[in-house]
Amino acid sequence: MASKALTVLKENVWTNNPVLIQILGICSTLAVTNNLRNTLVMTVGVALTTAFSSMTLSAMKDLIPRKVRMIVQVLVISFYVILIDIVLRAYLPDVSRQLGPYVGLIITNCIIMGRAEAFAQANKPLLSFWDGITSGLGYMAVLMAIAAVRELLGFGSLFGLRVLPAGFTPWTIMVMAPSAFFLVAITIWAAKTMQARKPAKSAPRPAAVAPQGR
Amino acid sequence: MPPLINPITLFFASVFTSNILLTNFLGMCSFISISKDWKSSFGLGMAVTFVMTITAAVSWAVLHLVLIPLGIEYLSFIVFIIVIAAVVQILEMVIDRSSPALYLSLGIFLPLITVNCAILGAILFIQIRSYSFIQTVSFGAGSGLGWWLAILLLSAIRERVDKNPVPAGLKGPGITLITIGFMAMAFTGFSGMIAVQ
Amino acid sequence: MKKDSLVYTVVFTFVVALAFVFVLALANDLTAARVADNKAFATQSAVLKALGVDYADPDEARRLFAELTLDAGDATGPAWKATIDGQSLVVVQETGAGLWGAITIMLAARPDAGRVSGVAILAQNETPGLGGRIEEAAFLDQFRGERSDGGIDVAVGAELSGLGDPDPDNGRVDGVTGASRTSVAFGTIVNAALARVRAISGGL
Repeated sequence: MASKALTVLKENVWTNNPVLIQILGICSTLAVTNNLRNTLVMTVGVALTTAFSSMTLSAMKDLIPRKVRMIVQVLVISFYVILIDIVLRAYLPDVSRQLGPYVGLIITNCIIMGRAEAFAQANKPLLSFWDGITSGLGYMAVLMAIAAVRELLGFGSLFGLRVLPAGFTPWTIMVMAPSAFFLVAITIWAAKTMQARKPAKSAPRPAAVAPQGR
Repeated sequence: MPPLINPITLFFASVFTSNILLTNFLGMCSFISISKDWKSSFGLGMAVTFVMTITAAVSWAVLHLVLIPLGIEYLSFIVFIIVIAAVVQILEMVIDRSSPALYLSLGIFLPLITVNCAILGAILFIQIRSYSFIQTVSFGAGSGLGWWLAILLLSAIRERVDKNPVPAGLKGPGITLITIGFMAMAFTGFSGMIAVQ
Repeated sequence: MKKDSLVYTVVFTFVVALAFVFVLALANDLTAARVADNKAFATQSAVLKALGVDYADPDEARRLFAELTLDAGDATGPAWKATIDGQSLVVVQETGAGLWGAITIMLAARPDAGRVSGVAILAQNETPGLGGRIEEAAFLDQFRGERSDGGIDVAVGAELSGLGDPDPDNGRVDGVTGASRTSVAFGTIVNAALARVRAISGGL
């Protein structure tokens, strides 16, 4: 069990990272990556939703009739996202206001559905929870790195705290949308090059291909 | 007080200056995987435009005639998802029965867009910005057309890019993202075109 | 009962949906008071920010708001009167169209609208990172103490220095880079708010 958990961690964070390798789920969060705090809240939200919905669906998998499987999946995912939205509105009103529609868009994040289909269907609830959390971590690592670059160069600050001297001219492009595309591309490039140099010992698991086109 | 934004301005702003894909990153997954091929891009773009316009109008009605009067706006996410799924399902049936030719070019893409983030995203924007019905329709249609335009342009560019030598690590998604980045920069050039009011 | 039978499918879906909706309704009810509280606090803290009054925590903000302000709202919208350091001020809440949706601001000014005391934002839906940057202190602080008897001009495009406009006497502030339309719209709302300050004081 412990070794399996470790394999899952390594796969989800590095060898099969949802953003870098599968290019999944960036739609909902990329737009807020010019601010570290918002990115953190969003990615934690995605990680928690993935973990809990994978766990719930894995626990329920023997009860769900085949015909309504997709509907039940969407129902479970929406349930957790709405909970997150309610909690944010009550306890972090500022963040909730800034994130606006993006919290709701977690529902359509391809990673969540992908993990529910590819992993939770065939594994025990606890392991599915761990799989969801680690997928979320892999996602968080990449987006936080991108957000750090964008906030540092675009505003001269990290988590809203000014770190660059006042004489620094902010790079407006970093605040705007195109920079996010460039940074994701550069991150993918770097990761792929590093992975190619040191061929992965464990072959990527074939079942991990999530449904495309979401 | 409803925001007094001219629907025509809203339409053009959502097609060009604030393209839902290039500035809000919505609908990226299918955008990257489908844009390899011009013909599929055309079909998917048409389907997105179609579904977005219709679901925007239907969701507006559901929001203002059901959710708000009953005070259950907190359930809106799930209701919108169901609305999108239902509209897609009905459209598929209608097109299948009425026009087999259209079904071939559009129908196969319909199931793909039930969970396209662009559709849900547009609807959530409409809810949060409390648009009127007219504004809703022009924003929905504009966003859909903007998405269509973006995927057509990208697929045309990709036909060339994919034939050219690219560093191994950048092949496929990497170079596509960089291309999209340049497109997004080009689209910000439209921003001088539209003045408020 | 068979797992794929119609009855089971319908009953299962119904029960699951009911259970989830019940939990959500409960969560929503439990937090409703808090959300309403947050909303009231958002308004009060925006009034205090516009007046330039500092507060350490929400409780202090509520106390200061109750002590300092006097409701002066009328048919055109909410407004308050206050006296800060011997200077009487009028605060108005004004909503107008931004690029994407309504922007609601709180503006404090002298009763003759000759000088702005401060501007705070209550709600906006502009693009995060572009128009959304009107919420940043660097932009809003330019309004503090700005002369406004001839209205306030928000500079955009080529007129923009990019470093803010430090002169409080020229009735001009720098717009947000890359968000000309939001900046122009913001200026329109500020000037509408100034007109309301004049109307409220004139009605005395």
